[in-house]
Amino acid sequence: MDSFLKAMALSTSGMDAQGTRLRTISENIANADTPGYRRKLVSFGQSFDAERGVGRVEIDGVSLDQSALETEFNPSHPLADENGYVDLSNVDLMVELADAREAQRSYEANLRMYDQARKMKGAILDLLKR
Amino acid sequence: MESLKVLSMASAAARHGAARHSTIAENVANADTPGYVAKDLAPFSSVAEDFGGNSFAPRATRAGHVFASRDETIAQTAFEVMTKESVSPNGNGVSLEEEMVKSAEAQGQHDLAVTIYRKSLDILRASMGRIR
Repeated sequence: MDSFLKAMALSTSGMDAQGTRLRTISENIANADTPGYRRKLVSFGQSFDAERGVGRVEIDGVSLDQSALETEFNPSHPLADENGYVDLSNVDLMVELADAREAQRSYEANLRMYDQARKMKGAILDLLKR
Repeated sequence: MESLKVLSMASAAARHGAARHSTIAENVANADTPGYVAKDLAPFSSVAEDFGGNSFAPRATRAGHVFASRDETIAQTAFEVMTKESVSPNGNGVSLEEEMVKSAEAQGQHDLAVTIYRKSLDILRASMGRIR
């Protein structure tokens, strides 16, 4: 029975991490047109859950993408510098969408594992009901 | 009570299936963790041989083996595998597709073991004249 609880705790931590990742991606997409916005990057890490004795997944930290911002020549813009260039965000929608799809896929995989563990636990509990 | 051997074998197989499933759950949860290498358990057939033909008592195969519970003994056989030919740029070596197949295997083994256990109990009950 302990194995099932372990598997369920692990899958939960995985879904949690992927959910945070998806939220960060939607933040990036929402700010795709914000001048000077740097896209946020989420990295995953492992933490040891001493109570259950499993290595859970957690968000290791959120960092800002330091690559160059896109610029646009628009002297009439209030934020334009002395040369008439405006800093846009460095969000690439294609990258964000691909990332979102990957996060969704991983989330579903974790959900599937959770469901399987739940069904296996149910099979054991059915033995008790006899 | 010869058939009790069937029960202990079935329960060991179910425990092995559950332990393998939780190992695979760890792989799936870490499918995007940089530097993570997928783990797997030795197949049940090899573990069952380790337990010996008649008794399922764990054997110390290495100095420092301590037997706390059967689950831990089985879990000790977890080994790291590279499931993908090439790892992703961040050093992650988990292939979600392969993990899904393996989890279905583990679930199937668990189902099989539980079914055998239940049927054996039915046979025991029948021999006592209590069929339901």
